[in-house]
Amino acid sequence: MAAPTAARGTRLPPEEIGYLVAGPGRAAETALARLLDAGLVRVSRDGLVSAVHETELGTLTAVETFILVHLRKAARFDAVVRNAAKSQEMRTLHQQLRARRLTREARPRLAVWWVFLAFGVLLGLLALLEPWTLFGAVAFLGVGFWTYGAKPLTRAGRAALKGVTASDRVLAVALEGFRGRIGNQSAGELFGLPQSVVKMLPRKRKKRTGNRGGAGAAGCGSGCGSSSCGTSSSCSSGGSSCGGGSSCGGGGGGGD
Amino acid sequence: MAGIKDLGVGIGWRSEIDLTVERLPGVDFVEVVAENLHIGHLPESVTLLLERGVPVLPHAVSLSLGSADQVDLHRVEHLGAVAEAVGAPMVSDHVCFVRAGGLDSGHLMPVPRTKDALDVLVANVKLAQRNLPVPLALENVAALLEWPDGELSEGQFLAELVERTDCWLLVDVANLYANARNIGTDPERFLDEIPLERLAYVHVAGGEQHGDIYHDTHAHAVLPQVLEVLDELCSRVAPPGVLLERDDNYPSDTEIASELAAIRAVVDKHRG
Repeated sequence: MAAPTAARGTRLPPEEIGYLVAGPGRAAETALARLLDAGLVRVSRDGLVSAVHETELGTLTAVETFILVHLRKAARFDAVVRNAAKSQEMRTLHQQLRARRLTREARPRLAVWWVFLAFGVLLGLLALLEPWTLFGAVAFLGVGFWTYGAKPLTRAGRAALKGVTASDRVLAVALEGFRGRIGNQSAGELFGLPQSVVKMLPRKRKKRTGNRGGAGAAGCGSGCGSSSCGTSSSCSSGGSSCGGGSSCGGGGGGGD
Repeated sequence: MAGIKDLGVGIGWRSEIDLTVERLPGVDFVEVVAENLHIGHLPESVTLLLERGVPVLPHAVSLSLGSADQVDLHRVEHLGAVAEAVGAPMVSDHVCFVRAGGLDSGHLMPVPRTKDALDVLVANVKLAQRNLPVPLALENVAALLEWPDGELSEGQFLAELVERTDCWLLVDVANLYANARNIGTDPERFLDEIPLERLAYVHVAGGEQHGDIYHDTHAHAVLPQVLEVLDELCSRVAPPGVLLERDDNYPSDTEIASELAAIRAVVDKHRG
């Protein structure tokens, strides 16, 4: 695969696509991929990332600049991704995506959502006999809807991702992460990275069936690491350390 | 010396640029800093290069052969063990001292070019040679000072060293340039005086001028003037190998490749 640097034929830059697909960790991976693609950083076999030139020239985004500035001293591959995912620059990116209504605050689905729904339906039926119970039915249905949860990706966000393919290696990372597979090789291998380096990143988390509302499984991306986003509840609560504040829940379009 | 001919153009292997070295086109051989390798646990990248048939030459920086203290045989043994581990046809170090009286200079210090200092150096080199499994080549250093009461020029000093020890020479043309700038030595005279038939290979490196001093940093681009010294050397002898040394502030793969290409162009120019 060639090494173009921009997402051809897409409206969003790869970093934003990465964020929408899997949250701040994936966006951080994408930023690092873009820097690698541009030859602005290099990675050694022992997983140390270093800046090729000790300047910020050539960066395209604030997150890329954050990474490059912090690479005046070589850092571990996974730490680079993790720190970028937690950076203020990443929070700003999240805010920008929210301001453009591509993402929203995710709500976790509560296990008892169906109880509220069932009571709502029951009260709704009862309202045929006792009309005053209609108020209760509406209230329970509302709570049921709320506890059903919400994906972090808005309809506009999903539309922005529609048709995006791994047409270059940076987009491949945005869509699948360095550990994700493109054909018979990992996206990291498209950059000549050894498996030992790629595997420094946490394994891609499988999307949990029956937990659609929780953004944690898909929302963190691989870069957040298991420590800060190890459970869906910590991510989807919007208060985890991953991405800072609510940004962890910002991603999670279901890419994982 | 079997196997040392036609090394080609190489680069100093450093862990920071291991993947770069592996994928750079036109890397015919590499040099490793012997002190950075552990026997029995060679870096994966070095193993990979060996599997590809790329010669790996150990280069030492700590034997302190010019020191009045006797050579530390543990260091010699380690150098020899590295040579055997990588199947190297030769090893190298510098004509310098790095420690004396229990102190470590942290720098390759030039040896006084006196007959007495030469006697000490010869004794140490012979002792090292006896304990090494492969031939030893010795490199001229970049000096920021000249000891007083020198009796020989640098070329004469090295020529006599070769004659008395049968060692090989590793000529660093960047160091020749640095010495010309800093202490006024003449690279051409140096090349006239050394036995070029004992040339093992050549080092090329970059540096930077700071005020009145040229620093052989190995962290900046190779100057055209350094390539001119290489050109001068190649006009006299076809060097078995020429190696680019880069130790810090690593540039892009493209820039490294272009420096190697520039070196190759100089070498090829004289091979016709």
